[in-house]
Amino acid sequence: MSRIGLFLCECGPNIAEAIDLDKIAEFINKENKVAGIERHRLLCSEEGKKFLAESIKQNQFDHIVIAACSPKQHESTFMEVLSQAGLNPYLLQLVNIREQCAWMTPDKGLATKKALRLIRAAINRVRFHSKLHEKEIEANPDVVVIGAGMTGIETALSLAQQGRTVYLIDKDKLGGMLKNLKRLFPGMLDPQRLLQEKIAEFNNQTQIKVFEDSQVKEILGFFGNFIVTIINKEKEISLKAGSIVLGIGAQEFVPEGMDQFGYGLKNVYTALQFEKEGLTKIPDESKALAIIHCVGREKLGYCSKFCCVNSMKLAHLIKEKRPDIKVIQFYQELCLPGKEYDKFYRETREKGIEFIRFDKIGVGKNGNQLELKYGSGDGTEKHLNVDIVILATGLIPNPETKDFAQMLNIAVDDYGFFKEEHIKLGPVSTLTDGIFIAGTCQGPKDIKESILQAKAASGRILSALIPGRKLPIEAKASEISDSLCMGCGICVQVCAYGAVSIDERKHISVVNEVLCRGCGNCAASCPSGAASHRHFTNQQLYYEAREILR
Amino acid sequence: MAQTFEPNLIGFLCNWCSYAAADLAGSNKLEVPANLATIRVMCSSRVDPIFILNAYLRGIDGVIIAGCHPGDCHYQTGNYYARRRFALLSKILKTFNLDPHRFRLSWISASEGQRFSQVTKEFAESIQKAGPNPLRKKPFID
Repeated sequence: MSRIGLFLCECGPNIAEAIDLDKIAEFINKENKVAGIERHRLLCSEEGKKFLAESIKQNQFDHIVIAACSPKQHESTFMEVLSQAGLNPYLLQLVNIREQCAWMTPDKGLATKKALRLIRAAINRVRFHSKLHEKEIEANPDVVVIGAGMTGIETALSLAQQGRTVYLIDKDKLGGMLKNLKRLFPGMLDPQRLLQEKIAEFNNQTQIKVFEDSQVKEILGFFGNFIVTIINKEKEISLKAGSIVLGIGAQEFVPEGMDQFGYGLKNVYTALQFEKEGLTKIPDESKALAIIHCVGREKLGYCSKFCCVNSMKLAHLIKEKRPDIKVIQFYQELCLPGKEYDKFYRETREKGIEFIRFDKIGVGKNGNQLELKYGSGDGTEKHLNVDIVILATGLIPNPETKDFAQMLNIAVDDYGFFKEEHIKLGPVSTLTDGIFIAGTCQGPKDIKESILQAKAASGRILSALIPGRKLPIEAKASEISDSLCMGCGICVQVCAYGAVSIDERKHISVVNEVLCRGCGNCAASCPSGAASHRHFTNQQLYYEAREILR
Repeated sequence: MAQTFEPNLIGFLCNWCSYAAADLAGSNKLEVPANLATIRVMCSSRVDPIFILNAYLRGIDGVIIAGCHPGDCHYQTGNYYARRRFALLSKILKTFNLDPHRFRLSWISASEGQRFSQVTKEFAESIQKAGPNPLRKKPFID
């Protein structure tokens, strides 16, 4: 028979005035289920905590029920006190008689009745609480960064500055998308110089190990202990790391098959193709150049948000090289987010760049020139002959995105980009612990935003994986009974974190406690009762509910 | 007898959204039916349909399950599982000639204290009208 101690907290006047605690003590006492009932004015105060600890020791209670505030307020406070008193902290059940009883029930009689019901349920439940231990695992503080574009480089540098060993892997050479660019908006910086500077910083950081021309073959393991196998010059290399950052970038959408834009005709480029090759090949006799915005936006279903400003950057570049050429921007909506781009837009206009709003547009051939047919909202069709057409298209996911998503059990969104754990609360983390995403592989963005995400991801890693410190594991994880499991695999399907898998040898499910976040979905779905959710076991919930059902 | 009927209600609240909403309702001193006692679970997907059947067969008048709004689940997809299990359970209950209106699934986010108070009050009223669970007098199981 367990010795349950019941503590009633008055919480100053908060509980004492709304609930008749004497009556509760009287009723509980009669039922003879607890070994002792103590009452205190303010249990979370220093004095109250001391009282709680001493009382536990003196009365030799082995299970504790505290009727006080919401567990969200002081569950951790009281768990700590239990530990100090030499009791496992999970042998506590906190009854929320303040927020969810005293404060929401104006009638004292009803509130007392409800509190009694809740306290009885907790007493009935706490008997089945078992000791849980917060486990820890050894964790490797090193990091593998996949993709060596601006995002990957920035991540590697931030981590290396704090002394972390970083393995920077790219299927190509360092630099990513930056290698193709001539200038960066809005400051018209030279990206090659920026890249050189960053690579020079690498030389001071011996902790960064770069693997160019390398393919990722396989990733095994979990947060704290990943093994990444790469193929470098036909040689397999195994890298050990605690965490992985994906910065594999995106690629430009090429409007193939969208005939109205004349893609495939001579002198029709996409924005990236023009910056890479077209800029140096502008024919001498050219007089006019058109940039068409939002090409493919409707088809893709999203705004890539950098292409408007990028088109203005191209106009600046062209004007720098050939001031005699007339540049016309055809747009539907201008996307100028943030505090810099509006100014950039005004500067562009001041350079004599023309902006025309269109509602429909088509590109065709007219002799040696290209002919634009467009409507500008007044119902009439206008014609314009130009020498070069640039199609400003957005970004689409890299083809490798879905392979990595599958390999690492992380989600992709409707458009095929990596999906973050939470749009606001976890913008760089993913469903899988220890895997972070940064840069354009998560969605279209400019370089500034990519760098922000790179810093965010490195910050998350620096605070989560600390050299010499072990990684705590959720104590309220799931467990699966070897003898009850029949290996149906339903729990494997419902787990959002890939924490449950089938042991091929035994043909039963096993839980990886490092990945389990303790939602209890597997426990609710298990047809044979093998999966159970620690601290929320069927037995505990059953007996808690049973008292409420009386 | 009908006037004095006070329904006995049980609620399963997910830790991250609805339990926090209930706390908020309390903090704002919003009234919530006193005959509703709640059980905290980490996720609405932890609620095994057996808990609900058990409650019903033991004579509970109404069960409410509340979780995060679709798309907001703390555990990504838990509330979708809860929704599906609930839909299936409702069908099964109908087959057994049990009243599915005694069960409610609701989405209440952590900031919706007002909504928590409203939903629970409405639910208590509807159960009040429906009358006691016929199994109350003679529990199906003990």
